[in-house]
Amino acid sequence: MPQKFDVIIVGSGACGGWAAMALTQSGFKVALLEAGSHIEPYRDFHHQWPYQLPFRGSGQPGFLRRYCRGATEYNYRLMIDDVENPYTTPHDKPFSWSRSRVLGGRTLHWSRACDRLSDLEFKAASRDGYGDNWPISYTDIAPYYDRVERFIGVSAARANFLQFPDGVFLPPMPLNCAETMFASAAGRLGLPATPRRVAQLTHMWNNRPPCHYCGNCVNGCDVGAMFSTVSTTLPPALKTGNVTLLCDSIVSHVLVNRENRACGVRYIERYTNRTIELAANVVVLAGSSLENTRLLLNSAKGGLANSSGILGHYLMDQIGGAAVSGFLPVLKGAAIRNDDGKSSGLYFPNFTNIAPQTGSRGFIRGYAMSATGGAAQFPAFAPDLPGFGSSYKKQVKTLYPAFARVWLSGGEMLSRKENFVALDPEVRDKWGIPVLKITCSHCDNDRKLYADFFTRAQELFRAAGGEIVDAKPYLSPPGSLIHEVGTCRMGEDPKTSVLNSFCQTHDVPNLFVFGGGCFVTTGDKHPTLTMMALSARGCDRLTDLAKKGEFA
Amino acid sequence: MTRRDASWAILRAASAAGGQAFFSRWLQAAQAAAAAMHTHSEGSPPPPDPHDWAAYKPQFFSAADFHTLDLFTSTLIPTDDTPGAREACVSQFIDFVVNAAAEYAPAVQEEWRRAMDYLRGQDFASMTEEQRVSFLERISAPERHPSQHDPGFTHYRLIKQMTVHAFYTSRVGLVDVLEYKGFAYLTAFPGCDHPEHHQV
Repeated sequence: MPQKFDVIIVGSGACGGWAAMALTQSGFKVALLEAGSHIEPYRDFHHQWPYQLPFRGSGQPGFLRRYCRGATEYNYRLMIDDVENPYTTPHDKPFSWSRSRVLGGRTLHWSRACDRLSDLEFKAASRDGYGDNWPISYTDIAPYYDRVERFIGVSAARANFLQFPDGVFLPPMPLNCAETMFASAAGRLGLPATPRRVAQLTHMWNNRPPCHYCGNCVNGCDVGAMFSTVSTTLPPALKTGNVTLLCDSIVSHVLVNRENRACGVRYIERYTNRTIELAANVVVLAGSSLENTRLLLNSAKGGLANSSGILGHYLMDQIGGAAVSGFLPVLKGAAIRNDDGKSSGLYFPNFTNIAPQTGSRGFIRGYAMSATGGAAQFPAFAPDLPGFGSSYKKQVKTLYPAFARVWLSGGEMLSRKENFVALDPEVRDKWGIPVLKITCSHCDNDRKLYADFFTRAQELFRAAGGEIVDAKPYLSPPGSLIHEVGTCRMGEDPKTSVLNSFCQTHDVPNLFVFGGGCFVTTGDKHPTLTMMALSARGCDRLTDLAKKGEFA
Repeated sequence: MTRRDASWAILRAASAAGGQAFFSRWLQAAQAAAAAMHTHSEGSPPPPDPHDWAAYKPQFFSAADFHTLDLFTSTLIPTDDTPGAREACVSQFIDFVVNAAAEYAPAVQEEWRRAMDYLRGQDFASMTEEQRVSFLERISAPERHPSQHDPGFTHYRLIKQMTVHAFYTSRVGLVDVLEYKGFAYLTAFPGCDHPEHHQV
């Protein structure tokens, strides 16, 4: 008789890691399944200078093409192999899907931004009449934001912005010269600005060391100063002795019994191709927004927990695109400083459509910008700088500390039913599991929002005294921000939503879905902190119901 | 010595013989580690380049083409009051990368063959230094005047992009020439301390 677990968690990213910690600490016996390989930060992450790598970061020519966007010679082992794990799109609707299959998932190389949504997002439909409200408001989630921030450690400055609620913060990281100049310019333009709120420690916290300002975050933090599952939530989970960690285990189905209750999962061992079934009283999906939905679609004809027919619909990413870049003349020829060591930047939370009268700029909802500058490791402007010879070399050196950019760190992409995912009837992955066909495009509001960013970013750049070099507007295809959410939305009404406000499926009460899938709107904030807070709230609900004997 | 190396030194010492010998070794390692940590608080020095590029034998380019490439890249980034493409062994690195393109990106090799054919046809290797500079000025003109055309421009861009990448990712280009200060172990981030930057 195989072992039966209290809870199976599928996926070990931000939400799966949190769930593993919270549920094992509540005394549940948990199986944590991860499709990718095991990783040890101290063993597997290194500071590598470009000249220490054979191909200086770019990889053997052509080699990285099989990996998802964002893969480099430094980090490709953390990124998914798109040849083994394909997805499809209509020819005229590209979608860029960056995934990780590895213990810790995308927490190993995420941008670490920790933003709280406000009621401007949760109740946006009440303000401008578009789409639906979330079934929760800020007061429902605020205690869980507190709990997550207090545990993972977020360095930030209190700012008292209506649209960007403050939280439980460690001291902020100081601004570099370029960021200081942008903050000064923002003050004169009346734009809100604050150091980017990041899950990077500024002092010792929960037995984790502070950031040592190497700037290597996206290739994996070797000391665990940035939040990731492997540095932060997995160690306390393992300490309980209640977790069985199964890596290289690719879940293909959620198993359901005759009473329409989840009773376990079926998974494939990555290297042996063996199919194994595992039993549990509760199943928690935490394998990323779209992988969760794919798993539900593959688990039953028409999709598991899909009596609403909504599963797969209302896919969103955030709006992103070309940045405005150039030089800050004050910094030309300045002594070289360590400018990229903290790799966070200055953040401009949304400033549009905050007043009660919305839509006055020709679009609804909002966007957030970021800015940074200074001597980054590679002089990104140099390949396109005209010229050669000694004069060129001197010019590169003069401009090196003065390079700066303002980018769109996230604009709200409207939630629309016609943006959706479904199983591709023909294409399967290396393990025979049907892949997703993703159909997603921008609407007019999305394009207007990007255009507004581009104008405002140029104003900001000039206000900081900057000379703009590269300013061609370009709206990136959906998925590019790697903030894909929706397709499994939450709501009060089981006819129009898949999940209730605790991320529990309406149809199958012992099935929870954690991650961005539940998002009703995407807002302009980075989604991870909200996903984790909702997971923490869902774990509380799961624990309460289990104590009442609901899942026996 | 990186912080990791220092902790490995401690671990190695700890796993060595016991008693007096163990403690004396451990203390030495701990002192070395403490010294290394102190250095880190000042910003750890960049490690040496592990590759012996000066001893590298070209694999893709013929000896004559490699000589041509060396003349071209050192005209692009010459040795002046700071080191240039030659000290950074840019041509050796380019040969290594283009040779390795055979497996997944053979089209890259074709581009370089065409570029070298073109330079051979122009007898680039026989030009004097002044002639090389004026030749590069001619074929690079579309960089400054996008409406202009030159048959050598594609080849110029191919070699320039690769040269710029190779030079500024080398230890010579990044550390000696650009004086990059990041990627260090620090105890505090050195924020802006210029009052004038607060009033731009």
